[in-house]
Amino acid sequence: MLSLGALSFLAPWLLSALVALPVLWWLLRAVPPAPARRLFPGVRLLLGLKDPERMPERTPWWLLLLRMAALAAAILAFADPVLNPDVRERGTGPVLLLLDGGWGSAPDWAQRQARAADILDQAARDGRPAAVISLAEPRPGEPRLPFRAAEDWATRIGGLAPKAWAPDRAGFAAWLETVEDEGFETVWLTDGLGTDGDRAFFDALADRGPVRMIADPRTPLALTAPGFADGALQTQVLRPEAGAGRSVEIAAIGADPLGIERVLGTQRVVFEPDDGAATEVALELPVELRNRVTRLTIPGERSAGAVALADDGLKRRKVGLLAGGDAGEAQRLVDPLHYLRTALEDSTDLIEAPLDDILSAQPDVIVFADVGAVAETERARLIDWIESGGLLVRFAGPRLAASGEGQLEEDALLPVRLRAGGRSVGGAMSWGAPKALRPFREGSPFFGLETPEEVNVTSQVMAQPDPELAERVLAALEDGTPLVTGRAQGEGRVVLFHVTANAEWSSLPLSGLFVQMLERLAVSARVARPAAEDLAGQTWTPVTVLDGFGNPVEPRLLAGVDGARLIDERPSAEMPPGVYSSGERTVAVNLFRDGDMIAPIGALPAGIVVESMQVAPETPLKPWLLLAALLALAADILATLWLSGRLTGPRMAQGTAVLLAVTLAGPLAATLAVPQARAQQMTEDELALHATTDTVLAYVVTGDRQLDQTSEAGLRGLSQVLTRRTAIEPVDPVGVQLERDDLAFFPFLYWPVSEVQRPPSDAAYAKLNEYLRSGGMILFDTRDANLGGRLGSGTANGRTLQQLAAKLDIPPLEPAPQDHVLTRTFYLLQDFPGRYSGSEVWVEAAPDVEEVEGMPFRDLNDGVTPVVIGANDWAAAWAVDARGAPMYPVGRGTGGAQQREMAYRFGVNLIMHVMTGNYKSDQVHVPALLERLGN
Amino acid sequence: MTETVASRATRLRGDAEKVGGSLPPLLAEAERLAMTVAFGVHGRRRAGIGENFWQYRRAVPGDVLTQVDWRRSARSDIQYIRQREWEAAQTVSIWCDDAQAMDYKGPRSEFTKAERARLLSLALAVLLVKAGERVSLLGTDAVQPRSGELQLNRIAMALAGDRVRPDYGAPPPAQYRTGGRAVFLSDFMGDKEQVFPALVEAAQHNVSGVFVQIVDDTEEDFPFDGRTIFRSVGGSVEFETQRARALRDAYRKRLAERRAQLRDVARNTGWQFSVHRTSQSPRAALLWLYMAIGGLR
Repeated sequence: MLSLGALSFLAPWLLSALVALPVLWWLLRAVPPAPARRLFPGVRLLLGLKDPERMPERTPWWLLLLRMAALAAAILAFADPVLNPDVRERGTGPVLLLLDGGWGSAPDWAQRQARAADILDQAARDGRPAAVISLAEPRPGEPRLPFRAAEDWATRIGGLAPKAWAPDRAGFAAWLETVEDEGFETVWLTDGLGTDGDRAFFDALADRGPVRMIADPRTPLALTAPGFADGALQTQVLRPEAGAGRSVEIAAIGADPLGIERVLGTQRVVFEPDDGAATEVALELPVELRNRVTRLTIPGERSAGAVALADDGLKRRKVGLLAGGDAGEAQRLVDPLHYLRTALEDSTDLIEAPLDDILSAQPDVIVFADVGAVAETERARLIDWIESGGLLVRFAGPRLAASGEGQLEEDALLPVRLRAGGRSVGGAMSWGAPKALRPFREGSPFFGLETPEEVNVTSQVMAQPDPELAERVLAALEDGTPLVTGRAQGEGRVVLFHVTANAEWSSLPLSGLFVQMLERLAVSARVARPAAEDLAGQTWTPVTVLDGFGNPVEPRLLAGVDGARLIDERPSAEMPPGVYSSGERTVAVNLFRDGDMIAPIGALPAGIVVESMQVAPETPLKPWLLLAALLALAADILATLWLSGRLTGPRMAQGTAVLLAVTLAGPLAATLAVPQARAQQMTEDELALHATTDTVLAYVVTGDRQLDQTSEAGLRGLSQVLTRRTAIEPVDPVGVQLERDDLAFFPFLYWPVSEVQRPPSDAAYAKLNEYLRSGGMILFDTRDANLGGRLGSGTANGRTLQQLAAKLDIPPLEPAPQDHVLTRTFYLLQDFPGRYSGSEVWVEAAPDVEEVEGMPFRDLNDGVTPVVIGANDWAAAWAVDARGAPMYPVGRGTGGAQQREMAYRFGVNLIMHVMTGNYKSDQVHVPALLERLGN
Repeated sequence: MTETVASRATRLRGDAEKVGGSLPPLLAEAERLAMTVAFGVHGRRRAGIGENFWQYRRAVPGDVLTQVDWRRSARSDIQYIRQREWEAAQTVSIWCDDAQAMDYKGPRSEFTKAERARLLSLALAVLLVKAGERVSLLGTDAVQPRSGELQLNRIAMALAGDRVRPDYGAPPPAQYRTGGRAVFLSDFMGDKEQVFPALVEAAQHNVSGVFVQIVDDTEEDFPFDGRTIFRSVGGSVEFETQRARALRDAYRKRLAERRAQLRDVARNTGWQFSVHRTSQSPRAALLWLYMAIGGLR
């Protein structure tokens, strides 16, 4: 075998025939084409005539070239060239399969798994033991590589999942030092991203044996932690190296008012070819939306690196400020609100208005500075607001002290009962010195803050001693009297500072502590990222963490983390990227911070063999070359005929056509028979005509060929059943390319969900939404029997469905109720089985209508559900082959046949529902109508 | 040198089969063709077959006195001469060119030129024999002018017979009867030096006659192209051209020249000349021939 790059010849000695080409050239040039011989009695009349035109006596160069090309193609063809030959040599000795397994591997994890399985298969065939280690996972406990039979590992590859953090190559290299094993071949499936310890890693591996590195030319993208600047969300898109231009979409995801996750905004950013490896993105969103953003993602990239989680830092709260008395314009520094305003201005949206208006603006926090009594109606609203999650922060002052609020009984707007009057220390008329602060105790929201010595308190309102007082104290003075008290009220809180909000009673508002305390109380959002010291000493527990694909999941088996580590350390197995909370505050741990970059793997030491992840399939070129030779010869025949002037006349034309047909049809049919889906063959007009002439069921072409064939066969089976049993007589189903085809012609789309499918473009989404709004129906089928339990998130297909449907305009859904019209549009059905049964089918939620006594079902007349979502793999149950026989087994025995029948019945009901709407629901009026007719 | 009886019989049988193989269809077809022409002439021109009388003509000075029909002249003051048609049996010599060149037929033609020439010859012979003329076929065994069915058979045999044939034909030297008629059926494609002297010689024998040039469509149109070697049927002449199409005009010009020469010869000798294509109906040619012979006086 002779190899030239990606090309190999299986019979290379035949190539020596190429030497004959120059000889042929000479021969063909030297010998003119043979003349035609004709009997012709009139020849005597010709004698002595001179040829006015001379026929070229030599073959023209292009004809020569054509013939040479034909011959060369034939010679090459018989030398059996193969593109991308499978040149695997039998290896010996153990194989160590290293997977990077970090976030960078997630986007093409399935490919990596397939490649890893391939490598293990090969090892198994060669009888080599293998070990599989994911670099992102903790090292094995014992210093030994887990070599085992490759078959054992092969079965476990499918269960591996990428981790949300970067692989620890340096750690592995260090661990490898302790390992005795030697003389193994290493195959390293890398994500192409460099880390600090790469050098040591290479060296450690190279010491032990040959190293093969398998890299993917596609490199991952990453997002840095989001920030807030100039009124917009800011993040950076990172790529390993500057390269060709690329357009990336960033989506901000958060909960809508109903708590359902949606895309709140998108922004497209373009990497110019000359741009560096990072580019800034700014997402401008209204405050309401911005505060709901939980994470930014790159929708096309399924990896934890392409997700940037948002935390408190992004939230700008609305804070209502209300002062008890107006201090007048002249005395700005004694204005009760001055210090509050200054402290909050930068980080919050302030509302200064009458209490009524403040409440109407739905603020997150209301701050009362020395407000005494509140009017009764406003009080009720205020309490309502607190109980639904509001935070009321009050500052004491002369008015509060004088108002007598909360002195006799516990007031809902005060955390503690107050003593009448107050106390004054360190003043001219009192004993004692002004009191300083006591360090904050553990458990207080202020724990960890420094208590500056210069802060002292001269006056305060005093709390009544109460059994619960101790636990309500958040901060106290040296002598133990409470300075800040707080209490939960409903879902909200009430907090009282026992001093004024201006510098009259204490110097607290003058100190930096004041701002920090407000921040800790989550009155204001952080402006800058917290420093490690700010968080140190507190235990932060993960609320949500990311898996390797960037999906937020609930943390399991994760201990709380010390605050300092959140800032100092990079995400790891103990601290995966996610949102961590402590008390009221949350901090997001993101893979990348502002200013981080990702870099490709640096220079590789000699001896490391690099392979591509994509293994191009072996393609024999022989048929193509032979075809080319035949075509060239056919062209040669035509050219020769044309040259000798025999290419005219009707008979000649016929002959030529026949010749061409015979020459071309055979090989073309044999070698080029590439089956294509029907939709691809149809032009736009044909499709429109086909779809509008008759009723046509359609399915969404996902790109997974097997799946698309099943969809088509399924809809064909359903169409046949419909034709046989009902007045709906659909013709052959068609596949619909969302990006290209017009959807308006189809009453019904079957959309099997497959991980393979890429999310449609925005234009396609617009079309889909238009389709749904104008009365189309889509049946989503995750085909996994909903094994994950919950709709949409339990399984891979479910997650894909979530991604696909995120941008669709889908109304609220509910599991199909027992009296849904789908259960009786044609057949009476209780459930909707497909190839699987038992999983819930979701439809548009019905409006809240009371069930009427005596009526079998509710009076629901309006609307056809635009989507039906299920997991029963209906198309497989419906699918029939060309002879009308079922293609996939359903259940067993008669039970299975019954289930298939029920699946068909569901299909019939569904299409009936699509076609007739809620006509069957209308039947509830029949008794009334009959009565009215006098029956 | 006595042939054995057996060998003679074998040869005889072979000949008979040869003759039987081609003669009856040819003769039958010739008779059928002749009938159509005879009836056509009959209906238009003649009172009845077998009538010798043609017309009375006024005697003019110089007429022989014995020719005067006294009975007719007695009825008026003018002397009439009674003319008879075919009064004396004419001798018509037919030359049917059987050279190899005549065996040619174009790719889309139905008949060779020789076939057409034989058909016309025999049909003409049938007509003439029926009219009581003496017919001879030049260059064959039937060269002695005779009349009657036997002569027809002889002519048919001669036409079907095999001979050593030249590439191109020329009228054979023959003893023409003075005042006889001659019909030459050929393609006249042969060498000018051979063809024309023979024609002139025939004409000089005070024989009036007809040339019919029988040609194939391809010889007329020259629809060839490409590099071609043209060869005569007998193979005596070859001509190679690089691009036949380019020669078309020159060829046609030469053909026209040849025809003009033939016409000139005809005009000079009082003969008539016609061209017959094998793609045309033989009837028209036969009719023309018949009329032309009749018209020659």
